[in-house]
Amino acid sequence: MPWKDGYTISDEIGLADRDLRWPDGQRCCVSITVDLSVAAGPAGITAADLASPAAEFARHDGLAQLLAVLRRHALHATFAVPAVMARILADQLRVLTNEGHEIAAEGLRHEDVGALSRQDERERLALTTQIVTEATGQRPAGWFSLPRQEDPFAGGTISPHTIDLLLEAGYEYFGNGLADDIPHYWVSDFAARRALLTLPYYYHFDDQFFLLFPRKGTGLENADMLFRNWKAEFDAQYRRGRLFHMTLHPQGIGWCNRVQMLDDFLGYMRSLPGLWNPTGAACARYWRETYPEQTHLRLEPSIWQDYPGSLS
Amino acid sequence: MTNELAELTRVAQAYDARHQFISSIAWPGGARIAVNLTVDFDAMLLRRLMNEPPMQLAKGEFGGRVGIWRLLELFESHNVKATIFTPGRICELYPQAMRAAARGGHEIADHMWEHRVPRDAALEHDHLLKTAAALQKIAGRRPVGTRSDHTRALLQREGFLYTSDGSAAQLPYYVTDDATADTTLLNLPFHYAIDDAMFFSFAWLGSGNAAQRITDPERVFDMWWAAFRQQYRAGGYLNVVMHPFVSGRALRIAMLDRLIAKMKTLPGVWFATCEEVARHCLATCPPRHG
Repeated sequence: MPWKDGYTISDEIGLADRDLRWPDGQRCCVSITVDLSVAAGPAGITAADLASPAAEFARHDGLAQLLAVLRRHALHATFAVPAVMARILADQLRVLTNEGHEIAAEGLRHEDVGALSRQDERERLALTTQIVTEATGQRPAGWFSLPRQEDPFAGGTISPHTIDLLLEAGYEYFGNGLADDIPHYWVSDFAARRALLTLPYYYHFDDQFFLLFPRKGTGLENADMLFRNWKAEFDAQYRRGRLFHMTLHPQGIGWCNRVQMLDDFLGYMRSLPGLWNPTGAACARYWRETYPEQTHLRLEPSIWQDYPGSLS
Repeated sequence: MTNELAELTRVAQAYDARHQFISSIAWPGGARIAVNLTVDFDAMLLRRLMNEPPMQLAKGEFGGRVGIWRLLELFESHNVKATIFTPGRICELYPQAMRAAARGGHEIADHMWEHRVPRDAALEHDHLLKTAAALQKIAGRRPVGTRSDHTRALLQREGFLYTSDGSAAQLPYYVTDDATADTTLLNLPFHYAIDDAMFFSFAWLGSGNAAQRITDPERVFDMWWAAFRQQYRAGGYLNVVMHPFVSGRALRIAMLDRLIAKMKTLPGVWFATCEEVARHCLATCPPRHG
């Protein structure tokens, strides 16, 4: 094995707190992702997922509640939108972009592409880009592959080709990486230093794992834990001067006490000075200018060796 | 039926016979409790071994890029030494972090070669030697402890003093591989309830979605503080298990910072490496042989 392929996606050491700077001397970056997918599981959005009270709530009341709270706190978010939702929600997407939110792509129907051929995935990616562009009048800069509640893991699913295909298609960033808690470069080819900027995601700050998880009726409601996770992470990252990131779903967070909790939390954040709240694309552009991969992606020569009797 | 009960009784007795417990122990300097902060630095190796998908590996990678550095900073800020249980392969993935851990005076101990113990005896021996050599290259000395289920006879032949795996008693205890064999090793017990991954890692050990127990740091702080207090009163031992990809997240470093700071407000808390605790147990409460 030539490098650390199959083990690591980036360089050996992340950027330390002391080396981190945000624009205009701001203290902490706050980045919000809103997932407009209603996919239950790896198959992506199905007819049953769309024709349900929860999906109806997500498209209307829940989304409106969430937007009202963001508006009240003057916060911008990046909306991860599967192509099918871009068709269904075309009118709402125009409202979102007018208010300064960003629309990013999230697959054709937010399906698991893990086992697709490269060509099949490439075609789906191109069609997704086309549909999202038609809906918003603007080519999406970012791509998300967020987890669904019934996925076996909580990180989102991609294939071994995804990052390379996103680079090929001209995407500026991948929206949900787990290898760091700040932007980092996801290397798709170590020899050629081909890399895509990746923004951080972590499921402990994603509402769907705490609100009737794994599914309504039998899942557990732990909204208080979600609040404490948000607050503990924000406080710690604010002290470090790093980045706080949260992921929201209108069908979950838009409801009653939950939306009040979001309101309270955003109000708490807003009470502190020095927050920089970029969209994903703005964060990615700042990062590439300030920490370009030519100087900041430090790919140490690998000392990995193959041995008989060991995994390669 | 009677035969079955006799057989079950025999099994329990044979298992008992493999254990020697320490009823009480006087810690150095009159300390009330010995605390081992232990780090399982497997990053993405276990995820890779279980053939999990790319995002799971990236989740583990956080431990090597970020988490291990934060844990080292945390220990340094409290002037406590920890034990880093390290798979040999990690020395090839994260040599800089491993050198920093060794420079910081932490104990570098074995956590298998690639987070598995091969069934084949020759390959098992090969993995143990490879790991020992990789760790020695980083730390300047061979490891004397392991968190693994390597064969005790093999460990003893290779000069290991202790294991840290399993929780048959609250105080350190001795385990013999087989009641007839003279291969008794000290075990420093760790309990899954004092293991960060049980509370903060989705799909830990293959758990299904409906069995997720992911929670927030305050709940875990309360549980672990209660465990510490109970052992402090009892004159006991606590082994806190941290994975860099789990505990290295900012919100949990902050929680551990509060926990260690609160432990330090009490007199007589001995923060030691596993090796220090092991050598003290071996010197003051040695196993009976024969």
